[in-house]
Amino acid sequence: MLRAARGQQQAQTTKRSWNVVVFTVGGMKLAARTEDVGGVSPWTDSIPVPSRTPFVQAMQKRDHQVMPVYELANRLSRTLQGDPLLCLVARHVDGPMAICIDAAVPSLETVDAAAIRPTINGDLETLGSVTIGGEDVTIVALQRLGKLA
Amino acid sequence: MSLRGHLKSTNVLVETGSFLIVRLGRMYLALPADGVRGVLTPEETGHEQAVTAAGSLYQLVDLTHLFSVVADLSGLEVRTVLYSNGHSHGAIRVEQVVGLTDVERKNCFPLPPQFRCDERRWFGGMMLYEDLLVLIVNPAWMLGELAEVVSLGASETSQLVTAGPLTVGGSC
Repeated sequence: MLRAARGQQQAQTTKRSWNVVVFTVGGMKLAARTEDVGGVSPWTDSIPVPSRTPFVQAMQKRDHQVMPVYELANRLSRTLQGDPLLCLVARHVDGPMAICIDAAVPSLETVDAAAIRPTINGDLETLGSVTIGGEDVTIVALQRLGKLA
Repeated sequence: MSLRGHLKSTNVLVETGSFLIVRLGRMYLALPADGVRGVLTPEETGHEQAVTAAGSLYQLVDLTHLFSVVADLSGLEVRTVLYSNGHSHGAIRVEQVVGLTDVERKNCFPLPPQFRCDERRWFGGMMLYEDLLVLIVNPAWMLGELAEVVSLGASETSQLVTAGPLTVGGSC
């Protein structure tokens, strides 16, 4: 009985906070829910694919999987920083997608769900924004990335 | 109980497709081999906009322009692939002819659904060839048989993908 109550309390605590991966694209700090991130690894050369889909112009072979590359830096009009660049695998609703991010190693943060503010900027698929380390950080909706553009 | 039955060989029907693999810039393309009528050197084709072979006129198909890719078409390995599906003919200039291969249907994949515009008509899918990612060109589009491209909606796109390998082009 007590155990069940404790479990319920834990679940409520979990709901009240979000675990996010904080990463940078062209020096711009962004966040994504940890469950939307498939992994982070060194960036490898991508294979160009003729395409008219905005920001989807290449594919990348990672292990035995081929996935489209989403040009998030291009969409944000940013130039990627550092070397070697990293690859963040997004768990997109249509399948995994590779995103090139800055060389700065991403960090894990826990944020209070109540502190997440709705984002007014309608240019990017977001889940809101939150203040991390005194900075306003947009939480990118990786699952829906590219659905607006 | 005899094991003889288990040792009997069975003929398993494996669906395969034959492809000519070519390179254009950094991109590798697969052309369904049943439409390949010949491979010519630059000396054999000259600088004409069309090639006549075996009584058929093959108009030049400029894939570099159609795909907006940069390719060096002045190298020693440049070839012109004569392609026909019976009623339409095209001469496709490529940087290199890489090889001919048979691919099992299960090893051909549709384009990921994140590609949702005209490229779904350009390519029937993709496959791996000696560790290279190769895009399978849709011959009907390449030969100009498809009407002006219309972007597919998201719902149509997902239908194409769930329908199985190579629902467009159907060459593998």
